[in-house]
Amino acid sequence: MHLQRLFTRAMCLALCLLWATQAPVAQAETGAEPSILHSVNEVERGSLLLRNGQDRAFLSAPLLDTEVAINVTAMIARVTVRQTFRHVGLDPVNGVYVFPLPEGSAVDRLRMHIGERVIEGQIKPRAGARKIFEAARSAGRKATLVEQQRPNLFTTSVANIGPQESVTVEIEYQQTLAYEAGWFSLRFPLTVGVRYIPGTKKVTGFDGGGWSYNTNAVPDASSITPPVGAAGEGHNNPVTIDINLNPGMPLAGIESLYHPVITSEPGPQRYRVSLDDGPTAADRDFVLRFKPAAGHAPRAAFFRQELNGETYGLMMLIPPQADWSRNARPPRELVLVVDTSGSMHGTSITQARATLRFALARLSPSDTFNIIQFNSGTESFAPTALPASPAHLARAAAYIDALHADGGTEMAGALRTALDARSENERIRQVIFVTDGSVGNEAELFKIIDRRLGASRLFTVGIGSAPNSYFMSEAAHIGRGTFTYIGDVAEVQEKIAALVQKLEFPVLADIRVRGASADFASSPNPLPDLYVHEPLLVNLRLGDEQALEIDGLLAGKPWSTRVPITNGGQAAGLDVAWARARIAGLERSLARGANREEVTSAIIALGLKHHLITRHTSLVAVDVTPAPLRAAQARDSHVPNKMPAGWQMSAPAARLPQTATPLALHGLCSLFLGLGAWWARRRALRS
Amino acid sequence: MSRPVLRVWLPLLLVLAALYQAGSGLHIVGKAHVAQFLLEHAWQESAAAQQPVRPWPSADTWPVARLSFPERNRSLIVLDGASLRNLAFGPVVVKGEEGIEAVGAVVIAGHRDTHFAVLADLKIGDRIRLDRDHQSEVFRVAEMFVVDQSSTQMLSDDSDSLWLVTCYPFVAVSPGTRWRYVVRAFPERRLTSVGA
Repeated sequence: MHLQRLFTRAMCLALCLLWATQAPVAQAETGAEPSILHSVNEVERGSLLLRNGQDRAFLSAPLLDTEVAINVTAMIARVTVRQTFRHVGLDPVNGVYVFPLPEGSAVDRLRMHIGERVIEGQIKPRAGARKIFEAARSAGRKATLVEQQRPNLFTTSVANIGPQESVTVEIEYQQTLAYEAGWFSLRFPLTVGVRYIPGTKKVTGFDGGGWSYNTNAVPDASSITPPVGAAGEGHNNPVTIDINLNPGMPLAGIESLYHPVITSEPGPQRYRVSLDDGPTAADRDFVLRFKPAAGHAPRAAFFRQELNGETYGLMMLIPPQADWSRNARPPRELVLVVDTSGSMHGTSITQARATLRFALARLSPSDTFNIIQFNSGTESFAPTALPASPAHLARAAAYIDALHADGGTEMAGALRTALDARSENERIRQVIFVTDGSVGNEAELFKIIDRRLGASRLFTVGIGSAPNSYFMSEAAHIGRGTFTYIGDVAEVQEKIAALVQKLEFPVLADIRVRGASADFASSPNPLPDLYVHEPLLVNLRLGDEQALEIDGLLAGKPWSTRVPITNGGQAAGLDVAWARARIAGLERSLARGANREEVTSAIIALGLKHHLITRHTSLVAVDVTPAPLRAAQARDSHVPNKMPAGWQMSAPAARLPQTATPLALHGLCSLFLGLGAWWARRRALRS
Repeated sequence: MSRPVLRVWLPLLLVLAALYQAGSGLHIVGKAHVAQFLLEHAWQESAAAQQPVRPWPSADTWPVARLSFPERNRSLIVLDGASLRNLAFGPVVVKGEEGIEAVGAVVIAGHRDTHFAVLADLKIGDRIRLDRDHQSEVFRVAEMFVVDQSSTQMLSDDSDSLWLVTCYPFVAVSPGTRWRYVVRAFPERRLTSVGA
């Protein structure tokens, strides 16, 4: 009878197996949405999936809440971002979240909070940090790794989050505020749009877990294409933002451009700003700007910091005062390049059309212009630039009205077309590039701009609720122009008027800043040109010099000045700002053909010295407590970003269709049951 | 347990269950084959009538293309509408259903156990013929991958590729898997033909 008992148990097991796998499959076969079909683990948890309705596709991802605390002192912002990963599933997961930060941010601190315990992150070369993280992950320990994918795109990986557990990852970064046209501004991006990955001709890998595979043009594409959830789908990644402003001067106004905020004034020259609606969906950039009260606007600012025997400085260069309007404006050629790819569909293309109309309206009859649009290909309005006659402008207006956004984002071809054309009669050639920058091949594009710029100047206009700000600012820097953000169609008129004014007035070009000491170094180096209303920030490492020599070309004529630096205000964090600016300069030098190995080791040295996350250094924190989880059991689960507000592009499908039938299962069960029948009958006959 | 239960009912129950399982399996295979037979018929009729013809009266899908694998001596009718129900009858167009005028890649998914079992045998350089809109295109298999189900980049591929997708591994008991086997083929030349 012993054998029979064994057999009965085996049968029960077979039947259980049958029902367990049969039920969700039957469900799947009647459902009509292949894009949200499930992994092995999800199928096993069929009942859980059904309870959650539309959240099915992302159910297994840990839920994420973000708290942002920003402290502004003078021109430096110190920001703490707390990402809390809450895991509601039944099996342990490794949470992976690809998230944006401002492109100038210097991330220098990581803390992992598990309950009451806090583990401080260590800076390591990228591969070493990855190795430490992987070792902790396979040992079942909790660990956090923060890596940089792009200067404005980072990845937090949290290993072994158990069921019903939460882990808080706290990172800190520092950023220098922007100052333009009398306003200080601070941008905090909250989501990553769907970036276009060119170079689909050759697949080189799928390793990063994003929706894209790696291509020859973007070898890390799978690491910068996190899943994207449409509005109303899945968790909203709610975010809270609290800002303490200590600008050191009275303010005339504080504005949040895209989020309602509450502002209070707890003390003299101290302000507090927080989101009015409480936790808000992370689907658009947050922008705060504030204006110094009349008479308090900085004229020429200089800050210094002594640290461990080294002196760092931050200088604001303000355009020299002159009566610009007396100079007759030379005729110019204006080339408007507009992105009409799929990511621009929705409110972005409306903003882009308005931008082009305003830019054309500022042309005078002696100017010439052309319009170039690009998506999967490039198309020009006219073969060569046309005079800005009423007839041509009318035709251009009709062309702009007919712009329609769809297809890929092949920016390289558009940049070549725009920069390779040469103007007649030595006109000033200005290229206005209107895009959301949703591409993954930034490095390739920077090379094109650097090689082909010639006498042209490139001005980028970032459109939409979540532009790729790193691409915008860096393209403008290499293109020796400026960048402008337009997040709402109501801003177009003001922003384009300011841009056109910059285009019209002469600039201070070929600027050099020199110090007398051997330790002196400045960054960025070389300096970009200085435009009206747009002061330039220069990070410095100083020796014992008392003054700096500044020279350049003002409206084509030599100009120089001497700035005493003995009486600068003291500030903190200038060392970090200097290191960050140096790293940006080193990255930029790659576009100009610098030696890759030398740049990499210089960046690693700076990263390790200043505790900074860079492309080649990461922060890693490992829990030392023994692991209760079975080793290597957790699987990777990606936290989706939100589709940027106003985008009407459909999100990349979360999954490929499920294309297996239970055929083999049926066959196996049938065989098993048949054998069982034969066996049971034989036993019965024998006994 | 009493003897009649052991002697008669338990074996009978098990036989019935075995038959049910075998039947379910045969149902899947049969449906896949019969549907392809009817679809082939509808495909010919569609071509003759110059308009979509329903393969069977209650069908809510119609043939949109024919895939042939000359080296494997196999051909399959491809259906419109990427739903799981349609997958039981034939491979379905996941991307490129607008037809030959559409820009970008064509992505077709099929069941690993029935129609697209053939993908396991494909080798680099094999030909794949895709007939649609009264035109033929011949592709050559260029790359094969095993990818995670979340790797959906082929759905936004703007190149002239043909992607065939099925579940991986080809032989497995559990129908749920997170892996996909992906075949990518590039066009060899574009032929123009009349009729089917």
